[in-house]
Amino acid sequence: MGNKDQEQSDIVKININQLVFRIEAKDPGDFISYDETKCNGCNGCVMVCSANLWSLAENKKARLAPKYKELCMECAACHEICESDAIVFKYPSGGSGIIIKHG
Amino acid sequence: MAKYDVVIVGGGPGGSYAAKTAAELGLKTIFFERGRNPGEKNASGCGLGQRWWRDFPQIMKKITKLHSYREIHFCYFKITDENDNLITTISTAKTKRDDERIMFEGKGYGMTGTSIYRSDLDPLLANLASDAGAELRTSTLIADLVKKGDRACGVVTEGGEIIEADIVIGADGAHSTVAIAAGIRKRWDKEKVTLVPQLDFSCDEQRMDDVLGNAELVWFGPYCGAYQVNFRDGFHLGLGQWMDKWDTKPVDMIKRILKIPAFQAMSRALNAQMREYQVHLLPWMPCPGKTYGNGVLLIGDAGGFPCPLEAEGIWHACISGEIAAKLAAEAISKGDVSESFLSEYERRWKQSALGREYQYGTEFVNLWKNSAFDPEFMKKMVLFLAEFQSLNFPSPIFDWSDDHMKAFNDHLGHFIDLLPELGDFARKNIVPLGKGISAENREKISALVANALKAKLPRIIPDRLVEWIVSKYLG
Repeated sequence: MGNKDQEQSDIVKININQLVFRIEAKDPGDFISYDETKCNGCNGCVMVCSANLWSLAENKKARLAPKYKELCMECAACHEICESDAIVFKYPSGGSGIIIKHG
Repeated sequence: MAKYDVVIVGGGPGGSYAAKTAAELGLKTIFFERGRNPGEKNASGCGLGQRWWRDFPQIMKKITKLHSYREIHFCYFKITDENDNLITTISTAKTKRDDERIMFEGKGYGMTGTSIYRSDLDPLLANLASDAGAELRTSTLIADLVKKGDRACGVVTEGGEIIEADIVIGADGAHSTVAIAAGIRKRWDKEKVTLVPQLDFSCDEQRMDDVLGNAELVWFGPYCGAYQVNFRDGFHLGLGQWMDKWDTKPVDMIKRILKIPAFQAMSRALNAQMREYQVHLLPWMPCPGKTYGNGVLLIGDAGGFPCPLEAEGIWHACISGEIAAKLAAEAISKGDVSESFLSEYERRWKQSALGREYQYGTEFVNLWKNSAFDPEFMKKMVLFLAEFQSLNFPSPIFDWSDDHMKAFNDHLGHFIDLLPELGDFARKNIVPLGKGISAENREKISALVANALKAKLPRIIPDRLVEWIVSKYLG
């Protein structure tokens, strides 16, 4: 790959972890509750999550990443898209979670 | 246990403006923000419309002094094709007559928009509310409503503290705890809400002035149209899709724009560096649904108020906040905070300037759903726009491929060939907007066409028939 091609592919790389800022001092608490028995395996949560916190497990049920509290972008899209009511999103505890510096 | 007249959940622009209005009306008011400071949790485009100079001129004077402020006079649509080639740029216009539609202190602001980061704007508005006497509690998440029977009579914090109030105003955004707890909705219908990934870039301020000046950009091609909002020394690049049509990962969606060579060239010219990734829900529908409940009023995104044409939402949040706070004051002074009295809220916003936004809501939303948000259709649309621009000044003059009339006819032929493809779209999505043409302009068009017909066909068609046909055609 020539230098120019390398430069071009670098431009389209997005490393989310370097582009998201968080309040470290306070625990956000448990703010997503998930009821696997209600999941119908529609894959919606997997598709909408910017932080890739949801995946489809072998039993065709969604699975929430155990470390979601440290990675969630707080958009609530998983709650919005889940029509089987398996996902309930509450916000992280006040004064914790992400900071949007230039929103 | 604290008791207030009004408790407002959310310290964004709508919540702060409602708090300011309520406090100025003498209500004991408290508003809650889950971030450590207002503006810490919020992302949006974020542009303010020209109407701010008409409706909130004193606040605009303060906004112009904030760090990230950039005055906007133009919007350039950068049209790109399937292979990411830039094929034309279409621009808005600005004249003195446009400017004079909104005057403030002798200066015209009719074609002036404002870009301002929420991290600058939200604290300013929250301070105005505090100055008016509203109490602000930060770092506090509201977990639920407190109810007596079905009626909301306060809120409870995540720590279990109860704050009583006669009326609760939900200003807590697209995913509104107040709306859910009041039983107004569990979630939005998928065709009424979009998800918007957005990148923030830092830029060299001087280069932004030199390269972009006072302009916003729209990247318009076979992807979901992307907005580029330009601030003093940075810009937002964002795009979105309705949840019912969602079929890709948010980050991949935005990468689609990063691939465009013209975008990359511009980024190099601005010395743009990716600084932050954000993503948010944006309610986007023809008209807000239910905006009140028993003891509850919803404002801003929580009520579904963003503009159905381009999803501007901050003006709508502030205006709905003002209407809600005024009605709350009336309800409290009359001692009637029942749901039936609060239903007056919907009647009031529908009759205000805010309500006029939704008069053509269905047509506005359909226009976008069937064009910019439909990548397959956009493949045809960009070809059409290119041919349209080839017929438009200055293209015919600068096409030196052959004698000018032949070149013009080639483009006209291509344009006509594409018309049937676009005709169906125009009939369904553009023609219905014709009913929005004012009576005054209808008469002008009618007279224009009637005169032209009469000049060509003097004795054959009687005047009255011509007038009847034209007025019939314009609906």
